[in-house]
Amino acid sequence: MGTMGHEPVPCTIKSAVTLQVGDVRRELGRPGVVVIDVAFPQPIDLQEMVFKNYYAAFLTMRVQRRRSLNRGTEGPLQWVTCLQDYCLMPNPHTEDCSQDYVCLSRDQMFCDVDHVATMRLILRQPSPVWFNFSIEELRFYAQGQKIPQKGFPSWLSHPSPQEQPANLHEELPNPDKVSSEVQKMWVLTEMLQASQTAARIGRFDVDGCYDINLLSYT
Amino acid sequence: MVREALLKVLEARPDEPVAFLAGYFEKLVLSSPEAGDGGGDHHGQHQQRLVRALWYVHLAHHSHRTAFNNNISMAYECLSAGGRRKKPGVNGKIYSELLKRICRDGEVPEEIISPLLRKITCRDHEAVPFDIFRYGVLTCFVLLEFLAKADTLYDVLDDSSGVADKRVCLAVLGTLEEALQASNFSVPVRYLEVGSKLGPDCLALAMDRALVDRKVSASMNRGEFLRRATALFITKVKPVD
Repeated sequence: MGTMGHEPVPCTIKSAVTLQVGDVRRELGRPGVVVIDVAFPQPIDLQEMVFKNYYAAFLTMRVQRRRSLNRGTEGPLQWVTCLQDYCLMPNPHTEDCSQDYVCLSRDQMFCDVDHVATMRLILRQPSPVWFNFSIEELRFYAQGQKIPQKGFPSWLSHPSPQEQPANLHEELPNPDKVSSEVQKMWVLTEMLQASQTAARIGRFDVDGCYDINLLSYT
Repeated sequence: MVREALLKVLEARPDEPVAFLAGYFEKLVLSSPEAGDGGGDHHGQHQQRLVRALWYVHLAHHSHRTAFNNNISMAYECLSAGGRRKKPGVNGKIYSELLKRICRDGEVPEEIISPLLRKITCRDHEAVPFDIFRYGVLTCFVLLEFLAKADTLYDVLDDSSGVADKRVCLAVLGTLEEALQASNFSVPVRYLEVGSKLGPDCLALAMDRALVDRKVSASMNRGEFLRRATALFITKVKPVD
């Protein structure tokens, strides 16, 4: 994913609202639509959004953006639909893709998603099989925020075997054997680190002394 | 009893199953409570439990993780059983003794054992939870193997002349230390990085650089090499707290 290594845009994600006909407590029917509103403190030029699906089948996305007029003046805020019934689960009745991570970039939207101030995500789930549905771990990344990929680490581009220095000392120990032993030593250390426990004895003292505040009169 | 013995054979997969079984039953007879003639006193029982626990932890190699864990829990039970109270648990004293015995049996030099033991042993009066017990025993065994590898490495480095060049030794150990230092990558990337660092090419370069002035220099003896190598290992051991 291209989003690794930079920070998501701060935003306020309001809690999901389920839309249902009639009284939620008395009606037996399951809600088929969930609406999530997102507010950005600063309007953003959306590059991509990432989230984890939780049994939502279709996603419609509407954004409130400010159209800049010709002479650079700011126009009124207006709502536009930038995604209509985007399919998150190919078959709403089955588990497929029900908990996938989804990444939507601006190329997939119907219109420009610049100067976005508010966003409304409308999730639909026509199947009554699922008790509830939502999307989770919602994150937005703004355009131009991408940090350019750093150069390859030197160990990735280190001299390939044919560039190996030919003028090694005669008396040098066999590098293959040395390498194999050193690697084994590394593996042992690494393995031990991997099997560390979180268990503790629960000592209170630091270097043999107790913090006076830990002592009580009881 | 026979089933248990066979289970141990299957777990440990010794090279010589018959000898293993013979040893197993012999040990079983020798360490059974009835056999301990002089073991009537408290000290004798204590020793007996220790010997039995030692035997358990030696049954399987630590790479057979399930078997090893089973044996450790047997040893733990064996050490915590007995005594006057019903469930006395394992205290720091007997745990430390066990670790010392493991290291001594592996003929680890004293100056290498003590920094390790300082990190993983508990105080005499402390109750030792099983996880810490397991980690401590495992650490000892891994250290033994690490030492064996370091010993072989020294054999390679000294080129069968008996003494190895100090600069080469330091270069190799330095490379290992670098590789062990946690880089900020996640696991798979880090493994790749280490693989490249500890590859023959990189090591050859490091050793070559160390030898750049072709003068004869000081040598490093085996003891010092092992001590320095284990110091790298021991810094990675998580201390008991």
